Amino acid sequence: MIRTTHFRILIIAILISVMGILSIYSSNYQKEDKKWQLIYKRQIYWVILGLFFFFIMYNLNYRRLWDATYFLYLLSALLLLLVFILGAVRLGAQRWLRIAWFNFQPSEIVKLIVIIFLSRYFSAKSSSNVTLTLNNAGIFRAIILPFFFVAIPMVLIIEQPDLGSSAVVLFIFIAMLYISGVKLKYLTIIFLLSLLFLPILWHILRDYQKERLLVFLNPNIDPLGAGYTIIQSKIAIGSGGFLGKGWLSGTQGQLHFLPESHTDFIFATFTEEWGFLGAITLLILYYFLIKQGIRIAQKTSDNFARLLAFGISLMLATQVFINIAMTIGLAPVVGLPLPLMSYGGSSTLVTYISLGILANIDKQRTVF
Amino acid sequence: MRIKIINYALIFIFIFLIFGIFNLEFMQGKKFKDLSNKNCIRLIPQQGSRGKILDRLGNILVDNYLSYDVIILPKDKEDIDKALIELSGILGVSLNDLKDTFKKGFVAPLSPITVAENIDIKKVFTLEELKSDMGGVIIQPHPLRYYPYGRLACHVMGYLNEIDRWRLTKLADYGYKTKDVVGFGGVEEKYDYFLRQDEGGLSVEVDHKGRFMRVIGFKSPKNGKDLLLSLDLRIQKIVEDSLQDKKGSVILMDPYSGEILAMASSPDFDLSAFVKKTSQPSISRIFNNPEAPLINRAISSSYPAGSIFKLIVATAALETGKINLNTEFICKGSISIGKQEFSCWNTHNQQNLMQAIPHSCNVFFYRTGLLLGAQVIHDYAVKYAFARATAIDLPYETNGFIPSPLWRRVSKFKSWFDGDTANLAIGQGEVLVTPLQVARMMAVYANKGNLVTPYIVKTIDGKDVSRYQKKIIRLNIKESNLNYINQALRNTVLYPSGTASVLSDLAVSVAGKTGSAQVSGRQPHGWFVGFFPFEKPKFVICVFLENGGAGFYSCVIAKQIIKMMYDQGLID
Repeated sequence: MIRTTHFRILIIAILISVMGILSIYSSNYQKEDKKWQLIYKRQIYWVILGLFFFFIMYNLNYRRLWDATYFLYLLSALLLLLVFILGAVRLGAQRWLRIAWFNFQPSEIVKLIVIIFLSRYFSAKSSSNVTLTLNNAGIFRAIILPFFFVAIPMVLIIEQPDLGSSAVVLFIFIAMLYISGVKLKYLTIIFLLSLLFLPILWHILRDYQKERLLVFLNPNIDPLGAGYTIIQSKIAIGSGGFLGKGWLSGTQGQLHFLPESHTDFIFATFTEEWGFLGAITLLILYYFLIKQGIRIAQKTSDNFARLLAFGISLMLATQVFINIAMTIGLAPVVGLPLPLMSYGGSSTLVTYISLGILANIDKQRTVF
Repeated sequence: MRIKIINYALIFIFIFLIFGIFNLEFMQGKKFKDLSNKNCIRLIPQQGSRGKILDRLGNILVDNYLSYDVIILPKDKEDIDKALIELSGILGVSLNDLKDTFKKGFVAPLSPITVAENIDIKKVFTLEELKSDMGGVIIQPHPLRYYPYGRLACHVMGYLNEIDRWRLTKLADYGYKTKDVVGFGGVEEKYDYFLRQDEGGLSVEVDHKGRFMRVIGFKSPKNGKDLLLSLDLRIQKIVEDSLQDKKGSVILMDPYSGEILAMASSPDFDLSAFVKKTSQPSISRIFNNPEAPLINRAISSSYPAGSIFKLIVATAALETGKINLNTEFICKGSISIGKQEFSCWNTHNQQNLMQAIPHSCNVFFYRTGLLLGAQVIHDYAVKYAFARATAIDLPYETNGFIPSPLWRRVSKFKSWFDGDTANLAIGQGEVLVTPLQVARMMAVYANKGNLVTPYIVKTIDGKDVSRYQKKIIRLNIKESNLNYINQALRNTVLYPSGTASVLSDLAVSVAGKTGSAQVSGRQPHGWFVGFFPFEKPKFVICVFLENGGAGFYSCVIAKQIIKMMYDQGLID
């Protein structure tokens, strides 16, 4: 197992998680509240639990997911509906389900389930011959029908509201259309249509979301309100320099100028203390992680597994990109965690589960 | 194919991110580093004490005491409001007033703001106990000026106030900042650079609510340098007691070195009014007073010289040989020059120089002046350094003025007449002199021919600076002529008919000259300038009373001063 691709995935994931835990510790150890100080310990538990799930998925044949697709899809819709009924409101959004002692964020797992669903949908073979149904499907079967299935969870997520996750879901959908070989003509149509819908989307957005978009264009229009986080985040990253201020010495994170310093903005906390060198190291680790996923996808002959592996890799890539771009002020602020780094059970578990699936795909290929 | 594009896209987004981070950390790194420090580092300035001002014997004329200020480190509006409410309770100041001061004290978004100054020591203790509950409240000791002798020598000292715009633009290069307290007038202004304390302070780290986290650095404040003045506290007191509230000024000077031993100007003002910010009404009363108490009348105003100026004419006449001791003019109470009648204050009949000076005979000097010509008189006056500042180390000295035919023609396009020469010869007309210039002129006679530069600061921080200030110019006047005039000055006191005869019964031998400078429509200015003891001069004295009547009244004050000095054994 040592020299295999999936082992490398595991090592990289653990490395990133350790970096995350160090930053979570650093951003909170100076808070007065004991509960906050010990939050890094909870993240350690999450990572251990995540590893446990990783090994479960690693040993569970991914084909089981094919079988469970519709069940999973229904489960995700149910969870999202439950959020509306029972969800805990935190930070102005209703995204969490309180399960026993922890807050579960269904939108995290929904992303994975959408990938599984789309993988199955696009890899379906027609009963008459062995070619993929998609190859000669019309626009309805190729785009409109799958979009309908994706739109249901997406709308529910938008309504939470969680713009970041729904953007990720949308992006996954488009990326998987692309990968699965849908005709470029259809993709162009989709692109043009969405351009048409953009003004309508603006009206659907809530005020604070509009504010965030405006602030993204110019953070200084509201430096103490909506623009505050992004300004502080840029200050944190910008003041890090080449080698950073050193672990436990970042003033922006330590003294709590930076909000969400252990969750969505953990990259700023990390870069402030570890500098450009740390940021590059982290980005390279992410790159290799995603690259491994794509390599697994390329090597796999099973269409379902191939799409699944692509989907998971692209989901990671999208999240990493959106999160880091927003921390450095190159994307609007949407609540989205940095996979493996940010504090949070749901995100950590789902990421490890996804990586477990990747590892399993790799293992199955070697077995066959 | 599509997979290849995905791979390229992946590489592209990572390069995009790296570039974004690179941009923040290196292209704009400096800016963000500064912002980061600004976020979490606050400077709490701590003032050292301003230098003390001592008299020549080391008595402290201007001292400092510690006052306590309440300072708020701003950040969270709610925290500040809470703190202000608590403070208003403890300090007994209304919340609105406190909020006003807070707003006024605002300098920059994150710098500490002083909300209360000079608070009671009991309240200091109360606040010290409670301040941990109030975010960002700091009690800071702050040295303030203390004047143990009240108004004594207020013009020489000068007051302190917040720097004004004009001074700030002038002094910004020397490290002065807005809200700095600087000297206005007197040695406080002239020597501000030396007296000025060096601001030290704590740099502290605060968290996002502006709460104190830890001390990062400390720069100890440096105290200003002490000044030792040439003033003699005892003489200064005598002078001010004698002058009381009469408008005018008195100067006592060492005739050999130019050291100012006493300098008083009246009306005076309360220096400590400027220390407490609460005394705003009393400050504006000082500024708006029509009597201009802030003006140092010894150096900053010039007046007609009157008969004092006759000494210049007499010296010029003797030096140029236009007259000698035997030259006599007859005073019939008046003389007509051109079409005009020029009067004397008395009918003196036959007068030679040794009589004309004691009697201050106008006719004698009209005639002498006409013999000399206006230009020569002007030149001698300039030789005695009239019409230019004495370069004493005090600010706002005025030049004075001596007219001349050339000036008249060049700047006024008018001719000079003999009548003008006559006026010039008795120090009237356009002649303007400061009391300090007059005192310096008298020093030339007392020290036998040397023009001294008056100065008031002897040492800075124990280092003798007087040698930089002592510039003595030899005037090349024949000693015999100086002796004649000195004798005439002595006669002014000794002769029963002399204008300063009132000084004759003093135990100290005084020589001097009175002057009554005519002012149209008002009482004349009274002058007395002289030196004592006559045999071995140690002091030059100049008493000037603005609209104080004839020179006689100035003599009376001079007498009082000399008598008290003698009584206190300050002369021998």
